[in-house]
Amino acid sequence: MKKLISLLLMVALLISTAGIVSAEGKTVVYWTMWESTEPQGKVLKQAAEAYEASSGNKVDLQFKGRTGMREGLQPALDAGTTIDVFDEDLDRVNNTWRAYTRDLEELAAAANYEETSNAGLMAAAREAAGGTLKSIPYQPFVFAFFYNAAIFEECGIAEVPATWDELLAACELIKAKGYVPITSDDAYIITNFGYHLARLIGEEGVRRVVDNGEWAEEPAVLTAAKAYEDLAKKGYLSPTIGSAVWPSNQNGELAFGEAAIYLNGSWLPNEVKDMTGPDFRWGCFSYPSVENGINGVEASNFGAQVLAINKDSAVAQETFDLIQVITKGEFDALLSKESIGIPADSSNTEWPPMLSAVKNVMDSLATRFSWAAGIENNVNMTPYIKQAFQQLCGGQITAVQFVETLETASK
Amino acid sequence: MKQNKTMVVAFLAPAVIFFCLIFIYPIIRTIAMSLFSVENVTSPIRDWTFTGVKNYITLAQTSLFWQSMWNIFRIWAAGGIVVMALALLFAVILNSGIRFKRFFRAVMYAPNIVSAVALATMWLQYVFANRWGMLTNFFSWVGLEELAATQWTASGNKFWAMTFAYCFGMVGYHMLIFSSGIEKIPQEYYEASAIDGAGRVAQFRRITFPMLKGVIKTNITMWTITSVGFFIWSQLFSTVTTDLDTITPMVYMYLQVFSAGNAVTAREAGLGAAVGVTLGLCVVLVFVVTNLLIHNDELEY
Repeated sequence: MKKLISLLLMVALLISTAGIVSAEGKTVVYWTMWESTEPQGKVLKQAAEAYEASSGNKVDLQFKGRTGMREGLQPALDAGTTIDVFDEDLDRVNNTWRAYTRDLEELAAAANYEETSNAGLMAAAREAAGGTLKSIPYQPFVFAFFYNAAIFEECGIAEVPATWDELLAACELIKAKGYVPITSDDAYIITNFGYHLARLIGEEGVRRVVDNGEWAEEPAVLTAAKAYEDLAKKGYLSPTIGSAVWPSNQNGELAFGEAAIYLNGSWLPNEVKDMTGPDFRWGCFSYPSVENGINGVEASNFGAQVLAINKDSAVAQETFDLIQVITKGEFDALLSKESIGIPADSSNTEWPPMLSAVKNVMDSLATRFSWAAGIENNVNMTPYIKQAFQQLCGGQITAVQFVETLETASK
Repeated sequence: MKQNKTMVVAFLAPAVIFFCLIFIYPIIRTIAMSLFSVENVTSPIRDWTFTGVKNYITLAQTSLFWQSMWNIFRIWAAGGIVVMALALLFAVILNSGIRFKRFFRAVMYAPNIVSAVALATMWLQYVFANRWGMLTNFFSWVGLEELAATQWTASGNKFWAMTFAYCFGMVGYHMLIFSSGIEKIPQEYYEASAIDGAGRVAQFRRITFPMLKGVIKTNITMWTITSVGFFIWSQLFSTVTTDLDTITPMVYMYLQVFSAGNAVTAREAGLGAAVGVTLGLCVVLVFVVTNLLIHNDELEY
């Protein structure tokens, strides 16, 4: 009798479970790099709920955070965990995890997806994936000099610097008014050197120097180092630029209106908005061109987070529909508004006021650098470059010593 | 009582199986991986390429790895001496009959129940900050302007700033271990020595210290294990990109296994495994040397 009851209960359980599955439709499992408490995480949750309501499908949205994705995604995929869609940086997804992603050309074409997408970002996604579309960009960003427009106005700087000489002239005016012209923190400081070197010899040249240890052999290294030695000597760099641990200077002297310029990504206004308040007026300009350089303000690092569909996903179409909800129309606009980010949908023409100055820079870019123009490409060298550059900017070593230090470290 | 071998096996099997799966298998896999070129920790074995001891040779030829080893050695040695000395001192004071013993013990242990992230943020944003940091304000207040102007997190200073902040939090933990050791020493020894005229210092030298040999060994081993795993403080004192002052072998291993911060760099899990094996050998070496130098089986009480 007991066995019979057990059997009946089991059958009832199976029937009820099957009923739930059919009633709730399919499930899309989404691993995201955002935390649930971040503006991006909150908007993604709303987008997932909207998709659930309209489709009858379920979204299993899992907030993994940056390190959670970096450390856990690939092992989980290798272990066969059901993950239909995941997001991370454009380069990481398309390089490191490309083998796990599905080709999206057909799905995108069928949905006429590119009618309202950012052509530059779609091209970047294709290029990073080796010529085909394997991810959909959202949350675009651009890396450039961000500045306090009120300080520029007070100093009478009407035009943003487009050349290195113009930047020096602007710094002089800013310094004369008692402000710190340029600041940075340890997390971003070497991007300054990367961009300067890339202006002179391009990203490929930077990678050659960094990977092959051609610090002394490549004369542009000394030229770039002398430019920053000059900035330090003239007092255009923050006195704490050599020691500031992120985010002390971005949250401190920049946000409090004591420093004018900071080389960073377009996420900066969002990161410091609690310190600056809503009335802070942001300006933005691309890293200036330099004398005898091979590229100019049209080249910078721009990119996005991207969404990629697992090649083994059994619900690819449903997942692509979810991606469209996130990256198009209402929720793309909401994501832009809440995270003070750039919209991915080209029909969302209204940018957050804090990023209005970024639009011109974004539109003017024609050449894409990878992160920091390749200066952080060699993990065995990055700490040496960082320390030497901090010392150079802090006035502790000369440009010649900077080159010698890195030449020695690379051998 | 008759032994039921089946029952013994049945009860032991789950523990043995889990022990093998969770401890033995990863150790063997890591040692094996260190002899191969492997891109990712979960890459299937068919994708591994045997390279012999090449990963170890690469490590030996990489100055950044040696820098990380030098940093961890300094944290272990210099930090260890300070932490052990203070922990022992506080443990002795706490067990010397002072009032509010439990309160002071709780205060000293408190940093251990606070997240390392919160502690590091406190040190960076409050103590070491150049603008309004406690040290800057204090030295300005006492008129030592040169010291007040010190950039505590500049290269060269950052290592010691980080080590000091880390050690501050570790004293309470090791003090507790010492304290439990002292509490086990029979009070009669102290009473007898006091009758014989021994003072506090003599009691410490002749009774407490010799009878704490086993606890000292435990503390050194625990300190070595936690030092080898030094990672979070390093990450917090150099967010996104690591630097020469803060890099430790664990951070170096992380860079190799999971790629760098914002830049997408090449991964080499085999090299990371070689770092792990090297660190494991360091712990074993310290354990062996400690056992050779400190004999605690001479005394029974």
